Amino acid sequence: MTALELSEIQAYLLSDYQQMGYSKYYLMQVKDAAATKNFLAAIAHGITHANATITDTCFNIGFTSNGLKQLGYNETNMHSFSREFREGMVTEHRQRLLGNFESSDPSKWQWGAPANDRIDLILMVFGKDEAIAEDFYNGIKDKFETALSVIHILDGKAMPDNREHFGFRDGISQPVIKGSGLPPCGNNNDIEPGEFVLGYKNEYTVYPDTALLKIAQGKPELLADNAEGLADERTKVKYKDVGQNGTYFVLLQLQQDVDGFWEFWKKQSVETDEKKRNEEATMLAAKMMGRWPGGAPLVKYDKDPGVDVTDDNFKYVKEDASGNKCPFGAHIRRMNPRDVFEESSPKVSLSLTRRHRIMRRVRSYGEDFIGSAENHKPNGEVGLLFGCFNANISKQFEFLQYTWGNSPKFKRLYADPDPLIGVREDPEKKLGQIFTIPQATTNRVISDMQSFVTVKGGAYFFFPSITAIKFLATI
Amino acid sequence: MIHQHPLITLAEVREDKLHILKTRLEDIRVSLLNAQMSEQPVEFGKVSTLHYGRWVILSRDSFRDEPAIPVGIRLVLTTNYDGIGNDHEDYHLAELVTQLTQYIDDLYECCVGYPEPEERTEESRKNFLKKGLIRTSAFYNGAPGRSVSQIHQEDSLHQHIWKFLKNKKWDEGTPAVEIHRAIKQEIDSRPEFEWTKEKAGVQGIKWLSLIAYGVLFIVMLPLIIGWLVYLFIFHELWDKKVTLAQSDLDDTKINELKKVEDIFPQNQFTQVAVLKPGFARRLNFRIWMFRTRVLAGDIFVKGKLLNIPTIHFARWVLIDKNKHVLFFSNFDGNWEQYLGDFIDQSGWGLTAIFCNTVKFPRTNFMGVLGIIPGMPLTFPGSKFVLTGGAYDEEHFLAWSRSTQVPTQVWYCPYRHLSIKNVNNNTMIRNELRQDLTEEQAKLFLKRF
Ligand code: HEM
Repeated sequence: MTALELSEIQAYLLSDYQQMGYSKYYLMQVKDAAATKNFLAAIAHGITHANATITDTCFNIGFTSNGLKQLGYNETNMHSFSREFREGMVTEHRQRLLGNFESSDPSKWQWGAPANDRIDLILMVFGKDEAIAEDFYNGIKDKFETALSVIHILDGKAMPDNREHFGFRDGISQPVIKGSGLPPCGNNNDIEPGEFVLGYKNEYTVYPDTALLKIAQGKPELLADNAEGLADERTKVKYKDVGQNGTYFVLLQLQQDVDGFWEFWKKQSVETDEKKRNEEATMLAAKMMGRWPGGAPLVKYDKDPGVDVTDDNFKYVKEDASGNKCPFGAHIRRMNPRDVFEESSPKVSLSLTRRHRIMRRVRSYGEDFIGSAENHKPNGEVGLLFGCFNANISKQFEFLQYTWGNSPKFKRLYADPDPLIGVREDPEKKLGQIFTIPQATTNRVISDMQSFVTVKGGAYFFFPSITAIKFLATI
Repeated sequence: MIHQHPLITLAEVREDKLHILKTRLEDIRVSLLNAQMSEQPVEFGKVSTLHYGRWVILSRDSFRDEPAIPVGIRLVLTTNYDGIGNDHEDYHLAELVTQLTQYIDDLYECCVGYPEPEERTEESRKNFLKKGLIRTSAFYNGAPGRSVSQIHQEDSLHQHIWKFLKNKKWDEGTPAVEIHRAIKQEIDSRPEFEWTKEKAGVQGIKWLSLIAYGVLFIVMLPLIIGWLVYLFIFHELWDKKVTLAQSDLDDTKINELKKVEDIFPQNQFTQVAVLKPGFARRLNFRIWMFRTRVLAGDIFVKGKLLNIPTIHFARWVLIDKNKHVLFFSNFDGNWEQYLGDFIDQSGWGLTAIFCNTVKFPRTNFMGVLGIIPGMPLTFPGSKFVLTGGAYDEEHFLAWSRSTQVPTQVWYCPYRHLSIKNVNNNTMIRNELRQDLTEEQAKLFLKRF
């Protein structure tokens, strides 16, 4: 097994920073390229890498393709970054893929769309609490004041017990990167590094497409040769790799309509008694999620155990081939079908799903509010800063969002998008949008599904290695 | 049972009219899309035998690699159609030229040899299209025997029962057989579903063919092994490593392709590749075409091609003195998933066919294990043997995108149905009329 170069890799990929109660994502624009490069050179050593001992603060940094261009990144070199990253999250085609329409239309975004101010880079500051995070930020602020301007700030926090606002425990099923030094996890969660870090082999045992330096600029001698050994055809000189030990980060600001969510499920309930109705609504919401609010997987728990259970040791073929326990359309069954990938055998399925995993890194924003059937009226806007790392945005995040999330034809279904992240406000009429809950005899069908999640902004970032950041300071 | 057939006809485009042709194709595309978006009837819908249809301009620019022989500009029409009557091809062409007369005239008057306005009759139009007909080398149908009208009928049956089930409250513990009976009664009471009394023919696997294939395989085994070793030593080892990555692809081209993708849950794919020169590679391609033809026609009849459960129709066609190969498919989902599936589930099948084309990612033993249908890719040692080719994901995806050709007009008649839906609907129809056990009835109800 290849060991990862931990002191090169930004730590947020390998740790969810749950101990960091508060986070601030600063979306920035380059005012002065030269000053920005000075800033990068000055702070490179202070970026939290995966070998660093984490104390009270963490600090990470990512670039959009615009940002690299602002720094003077060569056009030809730019081209060896992945298309998704280069084009960014907002193109006509990508809007269709990601299903960003109606209220989620990029024209209504608060940041990240072409109509908003250009975003070049993201500074992520984490602290044990808000004051510590702000202190840290103020401590580095004067280093970049002439270089960068702040476009937008995204405050986030880790809510108690990892809950998100609808009230469910999140962050349970996560991949573990082989060679990262973390103990293996089993349950098909141990994944080849090339699925998350450039410069290592992936689940196909090939190297993911990486950012080669085809035209020399800056100080290429800082960089290593690319791991695959690709070389210039004429000179036979191996290309330097800016991508090595780097990764891509997807960020989405998702507003959650907690009240709408619980009102909807209560309306769907047939029970009339208040308590029973709340129980039924909770059951239906759990069916949509695939886990009970405390995290217990439906596949293993018929009833809400009422306590937090972070069990991820289950599959679907033997436990629940009929979907009677966990519906085929449930969020977690779609986002990771485990041993039921289309109609392949369990063994093949497991190997195929390993090629479509993401490393989720989510924070909540807005009031510290954990919803439930009884209590679902937060003050002000609340939502999720959904983030995820992957080496191939198209094969991982976009695949999940479109093929497993938005497509109403997932598996054998007819008109079922992901009930949580795939529902459109204005669906194609002929199809409609439903959520099918398999039951012992007749399926229960929730028709006219509603959307409770609205995209407010989003972008794709490149998270370079520490060395690559030093290199960027020299271009 | 009505069988489905592939039709493909090429016409030489007049260079001076290319520009007009492109504009007209684009007009057709846009008006078709607008009609579909607003749920209006479309012109193509008048052709009762038509499943999928497309027009593609194929010119030197469509080729990524240097063509093996000089090529002009051609307008390619392909359809998948229901075979009606003794001369089903003639019947279908007649329908095309009578129902889509305006389109046909508008497009083909930009082509060499199309009848002058005063000479245009059903016969002359048809004959023109017939002149350009070519043979399809291998053809796959995800729902054999399902005519367009049957697919629509069975769709309405599914929807009707779905609504019926949803609106009726069943007492807890009602046996599934009783619900099944109630559904049958409901359908019996509706004259519009009279047709359900007749069972739908569903093509089974042709076991004899499979056995014959197996025997042939065993008999030929020494030859096959010799052939593979020969190819490996004298051809594959000499192939250059291909390093074209997705990031190397031309942005303008990719954007042109993407412009028409993922508008509906179904998509199309058109591809042209140049066969490698030399007798051995051509023969090898033919062998694999033969294998694919047998498998697709007789074995893959249950809605899965090489284990891929998302394809409605696919075909391979040799053109230009058998030196170039065209590939067409209609499938559910998006390009990435489709190709992802291809590599994931049938890398060998594809590798074996396409490794005979120029600048395909390097292969070893070109998927020898894949001769056995349904061969899982986790077979011990397969990783070793099958290194390269389609398993070389990054380069395979780049190869496939770079050899893809933009499709100017694409029509699909049941874009709201996945191929799994189509097959499931037929099962609903057939099981409706069967006496089911409680367990079977439960499974029947799971179909909704
Ligand atoms: C507001 C939006 C969202 C909410 C509230 C939400 C909530 C949840 C919850 C409660 C779980 C179960 C906990 C766990 O298994 O870790 C989960 C799992 C998951 N979600 Fe989401 N999610 C959201 C958006 C997304 C998006 C946009 C994606 C990707 C496109 C995504 C991908 C996943 C994945 C991959 C899993 C793990 C499934 C597994 O491995 O079993 N989620 N989500």
